[in-house]
Amino acid sequence: MKCVFEKLTIAQRLAIVAILLGFIAFVIGNPTDKNKITVNAKELSLSAIQLKDRINTMTLADWLIKEQSDFTLVDLRSEKEFNEYNIPTSVNIPIEELLNSDLMRNQKIIVYGNDDITSAQAWFILKSANYKAVYILNGGLNAWKNEILFPKLDANANEEQKAEFEKVKQISLHFGGTPQIVSGTTTTSVVQQSQPASTPKIQAPVGVSKPAGKKKKEGC
Amino acid sequence: MMPYYKFEYFGFDFSLVIAFIIGIGFGFALERGGFGNARILAGQFYFYNMRVLKVMFSAIVTAMLGLFYFAWIGWLDLSLVYIGDTYIIPQIIGGLILGIGFVIGGYCPGTSFVSASTGRYDGMIFILGIFFGIFLFGEAFPWIESFYNSTNMGRVTLPDFLGISYGMVVFLVVLMAVGAFALAGWGEKVMSKKTGRGVE
Repeated sequence: MKCVFEKLTIAQRLAIVAILLGFIAFVIGNPTDKNKITVNAKELSLSAIQLKDRINTMTLADWLIKEQSDFTLVDLRSEKEFNEYNIPTSVNIPIEELLNSDLMRNQKIIVYGNDDITSAQAWFILKSANYKAVYILNGGLNAWKNEILFPKLDANANEEQKAEFEKVKQISLHFGGTPQIVSGTTTTSVVQQSQPASTPKIQAPVGVSKPAGKKKKEGC
Repeated sequence: MMPYYKFEYFGFDFSLVIAFIIGIGFGFALERGGFGNARILAGQFYFYNMRVLKVMFSAIVTAMLGLFYFAWIGWLDLSLVYIGDTYIIPQIIGGLILGIGFVIGGYCPGTSFVSASTGRYDGMIFILGIFFGIFLFGEAFPWIESFYNSTNMGRVTLPDFLGISYGMVVFLVVLMAVGAFALAGWGEKVMSKKTGRGVE
């Protein structure tokens, strides 16, 4: 057997090696399973305790008003909920689709669901799949509604609180919200309007359901 | 883990340095393989010298087996390796134009630079032709833009398209390459007897 192999030319030996490797590859099937990921638990837990991966609603509102576009806002809720209301510029990617989406690993990604739980789970999936910059919108959409869309001011608030509320009011109106003043049990809307406070109707194109791929130019 | 650039082991500037080193190595390998010579390259199209086919298939099989096993071992994240979108009809037309230029001029873009750097005049003229073509393309782009962007199939790979595993594709390509090698060796012998042109 050894003699036979020695008689072959280098090209023939290489061909045999290639066929062998090819056959083993055939047996292996797929080299990687995209849905299986290895997790560096220590790295993850370290970045979790630093609380650096959270963005406050106010910060996000500020960025949106300034039309900062260095991040992708990802809405993790269902398509139906997304179509009812979403934070401007967000894209709808349900949590099970995250790893199959067009999101890039070097992109800055902010995720939100209704509360923090879904976003935290999404954060974990993305982080363990080696996405570099993943952030959670603190409090999710509920916090966005409470703090940005329908901020409340106590009727007996002091001057400082009132001045603070004035700022929030402007931001709220920018996003089509309804700032309110609470006195005892009754709630009065700051802005005169007949109907009760409701989430602003989204007009196209507030968000797009498919991520607008901002692809980096690559290749030859 | 590879690809190193995507995992930010180094920045954009340093990636250019690495690209330069790899480019020099690539050019050197092409030259040593005899690809600075238009006669050898054009010989492929008249079937009396199959070196282009052999080099291409060696490169494909080596790279393919390397990528497959690196990904399997866990050194490489295959999903991060760049694959361009497929625009099927524009790419077929573009391939034909490149092929015709290849037969006429005796070089492809890369090998023309190899040839020019070894001092061959035909390679230098070929490079002028490349730039002329780029200029024409740029000027004509507004008229062909809609065609250029037509029939986009997105990011397609053979395993996805055929619905078979990566390993299956690897095995089939290896078999195809070995078959092509055997055929090429046999064909060269036949053609050299017929035409009297020897295998270099």
